[in-house]
Amino acid sequence: MALSPEQSDSLRRARGLAPEALGIGLRVPHYDYVLDHLPPVDYFEVISENFFGRAPTPRARLERVRAHYPVVLHGVGLNLLGHAPLDDRYLDALARLADAVDAPFVSDHLCWTGAQGVSHHDLLPTPYVPELVELAAERAHEVQRRLGRPFAIENLSSYVEFRSSTLSEWEFYSAVVRESGCWSLLDINNVYVSSHNHGFDADSYLAAIDFSRVLQVHLAGHTREPNGTLVDTHDHPVSDPVWVLYARAWRMGGPFPTLLEWDARIPPLPEVLAELDKAREARQ
Amino acid sequence: MSRPAPAWLAEFQAGFGAVIRTPLDRASGTLTAATAAYDPQLCAEALDGPLSRGRERLAVYNRQYWFRLFTVLQAAFPLTARLMGYWEFNAVAARYLLARPPRGWDIEDISDGFRPYFEDALDESAPALRLTWIECVRIDAAYREVFRAETLPPLRPLESDAAALLTGRLVPLPAFRLVEEHSQLVALRTTLMANALSATVDLPPRLAQPQAWAIVRREGGTERIPLDTREADLLTLLGRHPVAEALAHLESACPAEERADLPQKVRAWLARSIELGFWCSLRRDR
Repeated sequence: MALSPEQSDSLRRARGLAPEALGIGLRVPHYDYVLDHLPPVDYFEVISENFFGRAPTPRARLERVRAHYPVVLHGVGLNLLGHAPLDDRYLDALARLADAVDAPFVSDHLCWTGAQGVSHHDLLPTPYVPELVELAAERAHEVQRRLGRPFAIENLSSYVEFRSSTLSEWEFYSAVVRESGCWSLLDINNVYVSSHNHGFDADSYLAAIDFSRVLQVHLAGHTREPNGTLVDTHDHPVSDPVWVLYARAWRMGGPFPTLLEWDARIPPLPEVLAELDKAREARQ
Repeated sequence: MSRPAPAWLAEFQAGFGAVIRTPLDRASGTLTAATAAYDPQLCAEALDGPLSRGRERLAVYNRQYWFRLFTVLQAAFPLTARLMGYWEFNAVAARYLLARPPRGWDIEDISDGFRPYFEDALDESAPALRLTWIECVRIDAAYREVFRAETLPPLRPLESDAAALLTGRLVPLPAFRLVEEHSQLVALRTTLMANALSATVDLPPRLAQPQAWAIVRREGGTERIPLDTREADLLTLLGRHPVAEALAHLESACPAEERADLPQKVRAWLARSIELGFWCSLRRDR
């Protein structure tokens, strides 16, 4: 995809990372290895909420990692599509953390996570309707303003669709990114999982993505349930069809910083690094 | 600030939330989604897909909610979960989560109220086993509290503090807890933490005498330090009373045959507790 000089410059400044950067989602089992070996990783991503708490050890470890690597923040609790307004205390905590690690950018998901005061600790879909495009876009814009740094919105993996939706998932997602003035975190595994579960064409999804707004791409593994449903568990290597889709996305809109997530049944870091090497191969 | 969300979204999310939190059915011997109990209105809204019906698609979220929270509680209370067995542990965890659904941003916070709930929920018909589970959950909770505690430097008293030591009150380091065991639970917990296997483990044999431990977090990690039973009593009393009062309580509770050695031992224990950094300050009450 040919970007105008203005688009390229805007994208470069927003990413704050090399266009081909390869990173890993940093998880507890890997801290010691990372700090002892300083492996060749361009950047790390951490789950924002894991560092909001009062436990000092996680924060101290993060600071040690940050001394050697750029760190971007990825949230799972913003509740962008919740009925309740955005939580000011949450945004303050997020802004403080982003400032502390000088995160090039911050991201979270296009979803809701809690209602009526209960947090479900899951990334939940809504019906895809224009009314919610406006709501999510306005809120995302506000988040980016409050943080004072680029905010990227991640597309969801989903297991159910709703009768009242009037937009496709990719129309909904693209519209929110566009109208918010924010950025896109495109999760290729999520595109594949949703396309499989709902029976749509993943290429149609990719075709709707404005790659001039893509700050980062995520990769992860998934699990197949007995009835064939794919669940975004992040507990396996990236599947072959997802690598194929990643290569296609790279041809359509690369280069873009890429990140590998592995959140359960986490193997030793050298194994995760080997998986990351496959991203280099897929780009050829 | 942003416009208010549409009213229908509140209703939709309340219905979806209720589906997600629907307890899993244990009747079959495995945890299964009770899809018949789902809100019919939400089920009507959920489209059938190429792989499953609408209700089954909602069940993915229902199962994820419970298994994710069970996993967090099992990780926070590994000794309790592994000794009790995940099936029984999850049964208590499910009742706890129904009574106290998660409300914070940090999923780890769901463990905050689990220890007292667990202790109250235990079956009283088997008192010995009940006491073992209580010891387990207290040991797990101690490790968790120590990990999450604020970092403060340990007290290093000066000579000029000597007089205040008797009238003042020693304040325990936030990252310090005392636990007691009647079987080798603390060592077992360390072994379990180093072992990723998830099978249930057997209860270790009962000790001839109970063993007390100090659990304390330092820069390099969390340590467990064995204590004499009377030494643990002293540390407990020092955490509750001014030093002089604590010593008086200890002496009055001490059997006559141990009293002759007690002053010497107390001096040694007190010095050791300071040397090992169990206190963060000396509060001068008066």
